[in-house]
Amino acid sequence: MTVFCYHTVTYMQPIIETREITRVYEGAGENTQAIKSVNFSVMKGESLAIIGKSGSGKSTLMHMLATLDRPTSGEMLIDGQPTSKLSDKDLDIIRNRKFGFIFQQFFLNSRNTCLENVTMPLMITGTPSDERKKRGLEMLDAVGLLDKAKQPAGQLSGGQKQRLCIARALITQPEVIFADEPTGNLDTENGRIITDLLFQMHKEKNITLVIVTHDPDLAALCDRTITIKDGEIV
Amino acid sequence: MRIRDRIIISQRNLLRSKLRTFLTISAVLIGTFTISLTNGVGNGIKSYVDRELGNVGAENTLIIQPRNDSDNPVSSDVQEYDPDRQLGMFNQTLLGPDDIREVQQIRGVDKVIPELNVQVEYLGVGEKKFQATVGQYIENFNIQLQSGSYLDLNRKDMIMIPMRYVDPLGLGSAEEAIGKNITLGYKDVNGRIVEKELIIAAVTAQSLLGSATSYISNGLLMDINNDQTRGVAGLSERYPALVVSHDPAYSDEEVESLKQIFSANGYNAQTIQDAIGTINTVINGILIVLNVFGIIALLAATFGIVNTLLMAVTERTSEIGLMKALGANRTTIFSIFAMEAASIGFWGALLGIGISMILAPIVNNIATNNFLQDFVGFKLLAFPFLPSLGIFLGIILLAFLAGTLPSIKASKQDPISALRYE
Repeated sequence: MTVFCYHTVTYMQPIIETREITRVYEGAGENTQAIKSVNFSVMKGESLAIIGKSGSGKSTLMHMLATLDRPTSGEMLIDGQPTSKLSDKDLDIIRNRKFGFIFQQFFLNSRNTCLENVTMPLMITGTPSDERKKRGLEMLDAVGLLDKAKQPAGQLSGGQKQRLCIARALITQPEVIFADEPTGNLDTENGRIITDLLFQMHKEKNITLVIVTHDPDLAALCDRTITIKDGEIV
Repeated sequence: MRIRDRIIISQRNLLRSKLRTFLTISAVLIGTFTISLTNGVGNGIKSYVDRELGNVGAENTLIIQPRNDSDNPVSSDVQEYDPDRQLGMFNQTLLGPDDIREVQQIRGVDKVIPELNVQVEYLGVGEKKFQATVGQYIENFNIQLQSGSYLDLNRKDMIMIPMRYVDPLGLGSAEEAIGKNITLGYKDVNGRIVEKELIIAAVTAQSLLGSATSYISNGLLMDINNDQTRGVAGLSERYPALVVSHDPAYSDEEVESLKQIFSANGYNAQTIQDAIGTINTVINGILIVLNVFGIIALLAATFGIVNTLLMAVTERTSEIGLMKALGANRTTIFSIFAMEAASIGFWGALLGIGISMILAPIVNNIATNNFLQDFVGFKLLAFPFLPSLGIFLGIILLAFLAGTLPSIKASKQDPISALRYE
């Protein structure tokens, strides 16, 4: 009973909140307002899709949610803490421990082995190499790439690469995973495998999922969808 | 991130473009090699000079010369005539018996020996005669001997001859020459040849200083000098310098105050250490010039390091972006690139110093078997540990400093724009 209550309570709690955030890019002569006064929250444990056309500002919004970028004005809160009060170092630690990232272009180091790629976040944390190896192999096993551990990441197929990225995003046991067009570079078959894997982790480990996509089918799988148009939620 | 992981990453990055790394390291290597070799030669010469002169006259000898009041015949003003001033060649002020007496009376002075320069004609054995120069052997004068022992200062019939005379005079080996007779010929004041029959007490080893000079006692030298200057005004009993010995127990401060007293009395007093200092100053001057070449090479190498790292930062833009996105802070990124730069310095310095040290025994061997053949105990190249370590660390520091600019550039990269960069 208590477990159920706890779950209910956490589900209702926002993990990331935005208050009137804007993002202005200073250009030559004229400024572009990529995000105009956005107010919304990402709840703990939910899966959220941010959809919109390219240039709508959805990636910019995700970058701010993920603390890769700071808003020009407005306030952002992570676990109720205003990010404006946090130093760059604090944000580095939040990204390293709390967040996981999956990119459309993978961003793998193709010369390094799969194991090395997967354990990169732990290396940044400063985890001893024995433990890194142990957890890395566990993660590779979870995404079905255990036999590729010693192979250079460059030798993998597109679908395998994205599975490797999922393993890398999950290795720090994050609370939130940000996925920027995770299936954008994959064929239908591989796209489905990645989608299944993401939602499986989301449900099993109660990880909050923030997916930026322009694929309506992927968005439909999420608990909630917000649509961005010209820098505003519509 | 752990230091070990940072080192591994930076070393791996260096191996990524092997040729580029190799060329950059080579540039550092050339600079280091030049500096290391220059210092090797410098240390070799210095340690030799120190050893050659180090014990000369022990601790208790001062060389007294008249204070030179700008007697440079080229640049100084015309000097007013002073009938009391004794002048030698080139109007050099000379010292005489009055000076000896005056110096003798200074407190602390033990013995005063005038330095004498005499011109001799030849050294000969039988019909063989060779040109020669002689100097006086002063007690405690540390001349390296090939064979025999130092001559008796009270005897006027002994000589120490340089190694190079042994063979031409047909004396056999250095050992066989000891105790044999030799003739010293010189001209007296009337130009007549006078011959002295002497016994060879020792054969001196070839050295940088006075390698051609034969040594005789002060008494014999005085006799020759008297023969050569008797009755000649301005030459008889005139000396360019006096060798003064003082109490060996004197401290450095007491020696210094003795020098002050000489100075107050119008003399210039120099210890052997001062003389070594003068020689070292000259050697240092030459070494600085040589070092400048090495430093110029290193400076060029520094620009190579900057360039290499700037290229590496550009190449790895998206990697830096990823690491920052995954939570690597500025310090981590900075240190990875800075370590890469320092490693270039490390390998360049290690190889540069290493190669010069490996070459040293070979060069020394060739040198001692050829142009330094007669210089006993002279090593052309010497590498004391501390200066070599200093060069090593200095170059790593230089490389690190060269790497700071690109490293700061890398650490300041914005993760988003870095990730967009493909």
